[in-house]
Amino acid sequence: MDMTEYKDIVVYIETADKSPVKVGLEMLSPARKIAEKKGGKVRAVLIGDGIRTAAQKAAESGADEVILIESPEYEIFHLDRFANVMESVIKEVKPYAVFVGGTQDGKDLAPKLAARLKTGCASDVMDVKTEDGKTVYTCPLYGGTVLQDVVMETSVPQIAVLRSGAFKKSEETVKGTITEKNIPAADENIRLKIKDVVKEISETVNLEDAQVIVSGGRGMGSRENFELVKQLADLLGGVVGATRPAIEDGWISRVHQVGQSGKIVAPKLYIACGISGATQHVSGIMNSDYIVAINKDEDAPIFEVANIGIVGNAINVLPVMIEEIKKKKEAE
Amino acid sequence: MEILVCIKQVPDDSVEVHLTEEGKPDLANITPVVNAFDTYALEMAARLKEAGEGEITALCIGGEEARNSLKNCLAVGADHAYLVQEDRFDGSDSRGISHILMCAAKKIEEDTGKKFDLIFCGKEATDAALGQVGAELSEMLGTGVITNVIEVEFAEGQVCAKQETEEGYRLIETASPCVLTVTKPDYDPRYPTIKNKMAARKKPIGTIKAQDLSVLEPEKTGEGGAFVKTLKLYEPPKKEAGIKIQEETAQDSALKAVAMMADAKVF
Amino acid sequence: MAYLISEEANDLLQDVREFCENEVKEQCKEFDRSGEWPKEIYDKAIEMQLHSLEVPEEYGGPGLSRVDVAALIEEMAIADAGFATTISASGLGTKPVLIAGNEEQKKHVCDQIIEGGFGAFCLTEPGAGSDAGAGTTTAVKDGDEYILNGRKCFITNGGIASFYCITAMTDKSKGVKGISMFLVDAGTPGLSTGNEEDKMGIRTSNTCDVVLEDCRIPAANLIGQEGKGFGIAMKTLDQARAWMGCVAAGIAQRGINEAIAYGKERIQFGKPIIRNQALQFKIADMAIKTETARQMVAHALTKMDLGLPHSKEAAIAKCYASDIAMEVASEAIQMFGGYGYSREYPVEKLLRDAKIFQIFEGSNEIQRIVIANNTIGR
Repeated sequence: MDMTEYKDIVVYIETADKSPVKVGLEMLSPARKIAEKKGGKVRAVLIGDGIRTAAQKAAESGADEVILIESPEYEIFHLDRFANVMESVIKEVKPYAVFVGGTQDGKDLAPKLAARLKTGCASDVMDVKTEDGKTVYTCPLYGGTVLQDVVMETSVPQIAVLRSGAFKKSEETVKGTITEKNIPAADENIRLKIKDVVKEISETVNLEDAQVIVSGGRGMGSRENFELVKQLADLLGGVVGATRPAIEDGWISRVHQVGQSGKIVAPKLYIACGISGATQHVSGIMNSDYIVAINKDEDAPIFEVANIGIVGNAINVLPVMIEEIKKKKEAE
Repeated sequence: MEILVCIKQVPDDSVEVHLTEEGKPDLANITPVVNAFDTYALEMAARLKEAGEGEITALCIGGEEARNSLKNCLAVGADHAYLVQEDRFDGSDSRGISHILMCAAKKIEEDTGKKFDLIFCGKEATDAALGQVGAELSEMLGTGVITNVIEVEFAEGQVCAKQETEEGYRLIETASPCVLTVTKPDYDPRYPTIKNKMAARKKPIGTIKAQDLSVLEPEKTGEGGAFVKTLKLYEPPKKEAGIKIQEETAQDSALKAVAMMADAKVF
Repeated sequence: MAYLISEEANDLLQDVREFCENEVKEQCKEFDRSGEWPKEIYDKAIEMQLHSLEVPEEYGGPGLSRVDVAALIEEMAIADAGFATTISASGLGTKPVLIAGNEEQKKHVCDQIIEGGFGAFCLTEPGAGSDAGAGTTTAVKDGDEYILNGRKCFITNGGIASFYCITAMTDKSKGVKGISMFLVDAGTPGLSTGNEEDKMGIRTSNTCDVVLEDCRIPAANLIGQEGKGFGIAMKTLDQARAWMGCVAAGIAQRGINEAIAYGKERIQFGKPIIRNQALQFKIADMAIKTETARQMVAHALTKMDLGLPHSKEAAIAKCYASDIAMEVASEAIQMFGGYGYSREYPVEKLLRDAKIFQIFEGSNEIQRIVIANNTIGR
């Protein structure tokens, strides 16, 4: 197969509430890097309804071309329909690689496209680099204690699901063009019928952009004690995070989940309260600038990654911290 | 109602995996278990079966040691179990695995003369966490796929499932057969009862070899057939541990920590 | 080392271990404090059929050998001795029927257990502990009924049982030869339970008085014949004692497990304390005792399975295992130092749990009488 004709990088930018999701724009920087090596272009694809502003944003964030597909039929995400659209765009553009953001829907869309296009797909990609002319993707194994470098040079396009928060948004302002495409929803391969979309959790939690995150784990003991985590987060102007056990115990809703199966975060300050530090959680906070951990078990693995580790029961430590930080803030 | 549940045997995910000196995952002392999401899938399937009727077949690709995982499935709801045991399938990527599962499902259907109405998978495995097989398998079977399922109903050839989303759920309908990938529902998988476990030990586990698979395209399988090729495995650089504070009282520890945080200007 | 068990039982052991790790061990800490009977844990155990291991195969049980069952019971005891006691005491409550009951009675009690019930054995009275012949509970025949009156005390599972095997005097003039054994279902008018004991240990098991006030039961509920109750009770205890030895050995094993884990983790003088040979020897002594107790339990149970006499062996197993459980628990605390004395850590509970095993189902003094009699001859 002559690979040289495949140069472009297609980046599927998902939108939420008519705006590009964070990882959508983040992907443009590794996409640009690879496109430059290949001598191709970065072509972002946005599918939805009334998302012109989002397309504009993508065009200003590092895409050479934004392919905008709008139709009321695409207002909500429908796996089969979106896969059809992406398939037809990809077949036309003939890209070298397709990047999809690691959101829940992105994780479904990518392998579906891979199966249809008979190509490979890498998941949860934390890094993209070029080695010996090959594009190398770094993915976690076993919750992140082991990393794996993979290549997909035997098929095109190579599809990669990029992890949210793993790439820094590009600062350069290339002014890309917007190409509107009219791709009507085909009846072919439409197997799902979305009967209802229910929003049970109304709060919006932006862990990915947070500067400060205060998280609680099972060590908080109860829903009542978990309030301490919220208090400290409020005091620091931060966002509340949680581990899976805390969520499963019903102390807080799952939009607060931090870790491999929740959100990958990179705040300036991360405070882990009553969190032992399971790999799945730790791998999601490793990019934090400063980690403070409070745990009563002095051997808790969380201390291995913490800048400051407080050995003690978070339920006793937190109230003192809250009071002391209050004092210091007032003194300022 | 005929249900297929695809399971994967993985190392116990509560144990940290590191690399050996040769750079291979050191799994020697880690108990192999059924992937947690697959156990949720099996439990969901078992509840569906118990509410109606039908049979559950568990299917696994793996070595001899995976029989134990299948035996455990037979003790908690599966009626039949098959192991695809073929060395040359080792190193298959998601496409390869999905292809083998598709071929094995067809083979079981041929043998029993019954078609699967529902095919369950876990939403991902706890080791590689790719989450690709459900979607790939559905494309190969030409069926719909509903992912991240937390609840499912099945009646008259129609499947209606709740797909968990970040903010709530989507109610999605599709015709059977279809593929469902399961995430953690409200309930936990059951423990095997003593008698079911004893009975499961006596149930046969069918062995499927490459030659049994009539629609197999061997070039899609194994390391050679993988689109995704591993260059190397390595451990991430360890973050250096910082300072541990353990004063006489929680009060003292907290004060010291806050002082240090203030010095570091993190708030 | 452990019990030498079948491959099948080894498989079950993995499941029981997982269950105990996830559902019993940590959870029981809280119930050890509160003294509340943890129904939700028992419900899960029942669902898994852990409570019916001793039910004979022909009555719906799993059909495992006694040694196989012992391995599973020990695993439960390692997690929580009170939990294992509840399960085992239910077996005790069933034994009089299995030993001397008729077909209908056997089916009746086994069905109740299979469906999730527990049994309780009622011999001890306020004035009749080791001296069972001093009991004052009476059973008077009235047509085709018996009327039971009296008070039983320290009854394990008393407050939660579905059925009771109760000894009562049908002929006071004959002493122990006047004792008969009766099967009484929970809910029978006249049977009530008194206050729950606030115990030192095994706090996840239920212990209370069982009171009989003009409790009328069908005459068909007599187990065996009139006057045979004492003999049935002794045979029951002969079997049950080995099981108490099994639970006690489990407590000791937990002590070893905790002591080793702590010894590896605790650093003093710059090294894990377990590197000290003095402490290694301590662990060795704990292992010598525990393993010996376990194999004595296995020996008694094997003789039982073979239908051979086992009074002496069961008494040795119970007596020895409970004595060493106290010693091993105490040594485990010693290994932990000051932390061992704290309720934050898991070992002080072992000592509290172990103590009762020297007392109930025949105090260790009674065991020595049994052993002496069987050794010296009459």
